[in-house]
Amino acid sequence: MIELQHINKTYTRPTGEAVHALIDVSLRIQRGEFLAIAGASGSGKSTLMHIFGLLDSPDGGHYLLDGEDVSGLSVKQQARLRNRKVGFVFQSFHLLPRTSALENVELPLLYSDRGSTRGLGRKALEAVHLSDRIHHRPSELSGGQQQRVAIARALINEPDLLLADEPTGNLDRQSASEVMALFQALNKAGRTIVVVTHDSEVAAHCGRIARIEDGRIVSDQPVPQPKNLMEAAQ
Amino acid sequence: MSPIRIVKHSVRTMARFKLRTGFMMLGSMVGVAALTFVLSAGRAAERKTIETVSRMFGDSAILIEDGGGHFAGGPRGQGSRLKLDDLDAIARELPNVESWDPQQGLPGGSVRHGDVTERARVMGESERSEHVWGRKASRGEYFDAAAVKAADRVAVVGETVVRTLFKGEDPLGAEIRIGSVPFRVIGVLEPWGTDPHGMDRDNEVLVPITTLMRRVTNVDTIASAKLLLRNSNDAERTSTEIRRILRARHALAANEPDDFTIITPAEVRGMVAQVQKVLFLYLPLVAGVALVVGALVSAILMLVSVNARTGEIGLRRAVGAGIGDIRLQFLVESAATTIAGGALGIALGYAAARAAASRMHLGEVELITTLLFGIAASTAVGLLAGTIPAMRAARLHPVDALR
Ligand SMILES: Nc1ncnc2c1ncn2[C@@H]1O[C@H](COP(=O)(O)OP(=O)(O)OP(=O)(O)O)[C@@H](O)[C@H]1O
Ligand SMILES: [Mg+2]
Repeated sequence: MIELQHINKTYTRPTGEAVHALIDVSLRIQRGEFLAIAGASGSGKSTLMHIFGLLDSPDGGHYLLDGEDVSGLSVKQQARLRNRKVGFVFQSFHLLPRTSALENVELPLLYSDRGSTRGLGRKALEAVHLSDRIHHRPSELSGGQQQRVAIARALINEPDLLLADEPTGNLDRQSASEVMALFQALNKAGRTIVVVTHDSEVAAHCGRIARIEDGRIVSDQPVPQPKNLMEAAQ
Repeated sequence: MSPIRIVKHSVRTMARFKLRTGFMMLGSMVGVAALTFVLSAGRAAERKTIETVSRMFGDSAILIEDGGGHFAGGPRGQGSRLKLDDLDAIARELPNVESWDPQQGLPGGSVRHGDVTERARVMGESERSEHVWGRKASRGEYFDAAAVKAADRVAVVGETVVRTLFKGEDPLGAEIRIGSVPFRVIGVLEPWGTDPHGMDRDNEVLVPITTLMRRVTNVDTIASAKLLLRNSNDAERTSTEIRRILRARHALAANEPDDFTIITPAEVRGMVAQVQKVLFLYLPLVAGVALVVGALVSAILMLVSVNARTGEIGLRRAVGAGIGDIRLQFLVESAATTIAGGALGIALGYAAARAAASRMHLGEVELITTLLFGIAASTAVGLLAGTIPAMRAARLHPVDALR
């Protein structure tokens, strides 16, 4: 469903120096896959994820989403597509402060053209096991709970693709496992998920790992036996 | 992506940033209050000025004052020279003078009735005063030509005098003393109100000018005279003629300045224009500065807010907000806040204008005028305060904003 063909992305530092964040990256992700993008800091993981999520445009190459070339879309078209097809989860949660969990989760609906949206926020919070925290503000939630609110927000528009950049980076082990367990459950239910991480322990929970070094994909392999947190939980 | 939803959402954020909202509202309130106050009180003052001036001068009258210098309180020439005969001569020589009334007075004369003594403006006038100043007796009657000729001790009093001196008792036929001279009250003046100097023109006692000059002030000159013209188009020429006659009668040499002042309808219009300029140019300019400062404070607070919320902006973009949505959100946030502050400012400005108008006897302040000025001012603040921060927020690249 997602195909990157010979993607290049170059940044220019304020000093004028060019940074080749992505070099000739080609990658194909099937519907229902659970992919980890692993690599050291500065290797280009986030850049790749921003291109997946239509937050940024490549300088060269093609991006096919559901068979449609989306590399040349306007900023406005990208925004609509992001709203419909992509859900983002960030390391630092990015929840609106002084705003209830429910309102945070419903934020993407503000920019969507869906007709009826009644009850979707509650349903999404239910899916991340936070039905009893609907009216809590972020400051009243633990880190793991905040990240689950962010995941509910990413899911509210039923996106085809869930993108997570270091989703466990700010969490303790226990909360990190909860989040990974949630991803595994969502993936089992058919959701396509891409997790960016430099943590091999996190990557080991995914179905496939693409390794990136200095902007190039250096290996791309399925995980023979992903660690299964759902079984462990039972 | 309904704009209505974004507008509602943005208005709700006002509560999320209570401190910012409070200060922005304050900034906009002060500016809007200053401007609405100045403009609405100014409107009332202008109306009052024009009304009073037209009541006092009409547009076909010339005023002659004893002494040189200027109407608006400039230095007066030495020695009073203007006499009743001067005016008689002018009226005889100039056919454009339809009627005239001389005046001489005591600004704060002591007036007594029984054992009550009050201060009032005591004016000596001619029997033509009723016609020339357009102010009649509402009860009793005015003194007539015979009374002026004979210097009778009769008086016409204003309503304030009736109230303070007579305490509601019927003044007609009663005796009052101006200084030590007894007068008989023969009439009550119709109410007038306050003049542009804030003087209560109902606290007045009119007596024949001859009586006043001979028995009370003991002078043979008059302070001023108002001349009604048949043809106001000829006012300038008539004024030139008056000047010529007076200079000749006062035997002024060519190098001596006038020892009188002539005020023509054109000069009166000039004065009104001067007042309007102060009311609608200088004062609003000062208030406008307050408004701009309020708008700037709001704009800076909004910019600080945008900077502090880059992460939020990036997130909104990530979940599908377009550039226009971000711009709309920040515009509405600042507009809603400053307009709410502006609404308070309008209320404050209106209350202040009413208080000022009632203190200065300016009459009613029009609510609708206040509202129009206030809404225009608030909108201006909202746009000033909102535009730059909103553009800045909209220009952020989502990836940079999320970092
Ligand atoms: N806006 C930018 N301007 C210049 N260089 C940039 C910019 N954004 C990213 N880079 C550079 O591009 C390279 C890839 O950055 P990217 O954020 O994708 O790395 P990453 O793998 O996500 O790193 P980390 O694990 O630290 O998040 C880095 O060398 C980074 O310094
Ligand atoms: Mg990164």
